[in-house]
Amino acid sequence: MTEYVLQTEDVAIHYGGVKAVDGVDLTLSKGQIRGLIGPNGSGKSTVIDAITGRRMLTRGKVVLRGEDVSEMGVVERRKRGLSRSFQRTSIFGQMLVGKQVELASHKMGVEDSYADTKAVLEELDLWKFAQVEAQDLGYGEQRRLDLALALVGRPSVLLLDEPMAGLSVKESLDLAQHLKQLTSSWDVSVLLVEHDMDVVFSISDVVTVFELGRVISTGEPAKVRSDPRVREAYLGSTA
Amino acid sequence: MTFYRSLLVSIIALLLGLAVLNFVTSSTLLSLFTQAIIYAVFALGIGVLLKQNGMVSFGHALYFGSAGYLMGIMLQLQWASAETLIFYTLFIITLVGLLFGLIIVRVPGVAFGMLTLAIGQMFYLTASRARGFTGGADGMNIDWPSTLFGFSVSQILKPSVIFMISWTTLIIVIFLVSCLLRSRFGAITEAVRDNEERARFIGISTLLPRAAIYSLSALISGIAGVLSALNTGFVSPENLHWSLSGMTLMMVVVGGFKVLWGPALGAVVYFMFKDILGDYATHWMTIFGVVLIAVIVFSPTGIAGAIVGLMSGKPSVGNKPAQGH
Repeated sequence: MTEYVLQTEDVAIHYGGVKAVDGVDLTLSKGQIRGLIGPNGSGKSTVIDAITGRRMLTRGKVVLRGEDVSEMGVVERRKRGLSRSFQRTSIFGQMLVGKQVELASHKMGVEDSYADTKAVLEELDLWKFAQVEAQDLGYGEQRRLDLALALVGRPSVLLLDEPMAGLSVKESLDLAQHLKQLTSSWDVSVLLVEHDMDVVFSISDVVTVFELGRVISTGEPAKVRSDPRVREAYLGSTA
Repeated sequence: MTFYRSLLVSIIALLLGLAVLNFVTSSTLLSLFTQAIIYAVFALGIGVLLKQNGMVSFGHALYFGSAGYLMGIMLQLQWASAETLIFYTLFIITLVGLLFGLIIVRVPGVAFGMLTLAIGQMFYLTASRARGFTGGADGMNIDWPSTLFGFSVSQILKPSVIFMISWTTLIIVIFLVSCLLRSRFGAITEAVRDNEERARFIGISTLLPRAAIYSLSALISGIAGVLSALNTGFVSPENLHWSLSGMTLMMVVVGGFKVLWGPALGAVVYFMFKDILGDYATHWMTIFGVVLIAVIVFSPTGIAGAIVGLMSGKPSVGNKPAQGH
């Protein structure tokens, strides 16, 4: 039996009569990258919010490494290894790059927070900016810093909400390569929400397609790409 | 600024206070300076809240005035020595600040300001009505004992001595707060202020740091309240009124809150204006209002921000142009 690092069971988030997410079952195996795609408003980001505790579940549960974390807050889930980045860059603009990563490392309970900070920043090629205020970085570097903050403390699951948004083609490809490497070198599993189809289909092990808050297709990239329902609902002629 | 640099600057500032005593012989002027410095401590309290939590309080006079009332009432009841009662007063103010903080810092923006206003006015009305305890609208005299910390109170209340006590208190408070804000606690509160959501996603529980800063700002306001009670020997409901909080907030805005000593500078500027313009114009506040608008428009980081910006050759502190994304 496959042991999943992350599982959602019948997860639903309703706002009154609006079913933003309805009955979503997802799994994530160790070292796996699962791409989540779908039209805008299909519920991808809401699922990530539900998993991380940013939004309360209407129904269902979230299981992290065998433990039901559905009732836990954001901080408890993060300390158990569930981390995320945001659709909009979410960093501490007025703080030095090194200082904020070191602070995150300390809060994660890492013993040698300096070494952890250095490792994370070197991994994302940001160590040279350690003494620079985050607001003085370029946009691509800020996106990498967002990812660095999510990587601190070596999380077991990383939820990335459109990490390539606003990046150039080259920056997107570099970041995609980084993500692929991270799953093996850092032993982290990734749930990736992304609109750049080339990136999703090139680095994901599994792809799940959302429409109107429900999963309409899931499987290996090639299988999903050729699924007629997916082509009709989302990929259309671009696939 | 490193610890030793802060220490050196603080020592120089203390010496500057002594130099002022050498040059200024007028007791009226010294009394004005003392009043300005007491309000500088109070402004520092409101400024710390704005700087570290990004929150505007219209009700911090609650802690300023309550410190005076607590001292006055406890001295009347003779619960303990005056020295011990000062400690009790500051402890109670800090604790009350923490309890209120734990409730109200959850509320963002304008709603927070309105809550502080409501709580402050609640205490103002209570003090105005409870004649038996507080003397009602007439206020109450504070019966300081004849000696305090081994010194005669009449000596302490000499303009030069009370000036130096106030000045030393201000410098020590600025030094200690700067040390605290340089610590990891300071970094945590900065992180919570800048991006509360991200702070939670790096494992920071955001409520307690916010409440702790609120409590710290209450304590600093309380210290100013005790100094004021010592200086004037009197406290009235006016010391609790929201307009006092509003006036001190103006000092904070004029001085600038991004730099720790900015609010203190704002208080000194305010009292200088009041003294100089007050001689020529009854409605001097109108002129000060124009100055306030000018500062907000041309230097949103206040006078202190502009000074630091000029000295470092960079844009005003905390006023850097945002990235274009």
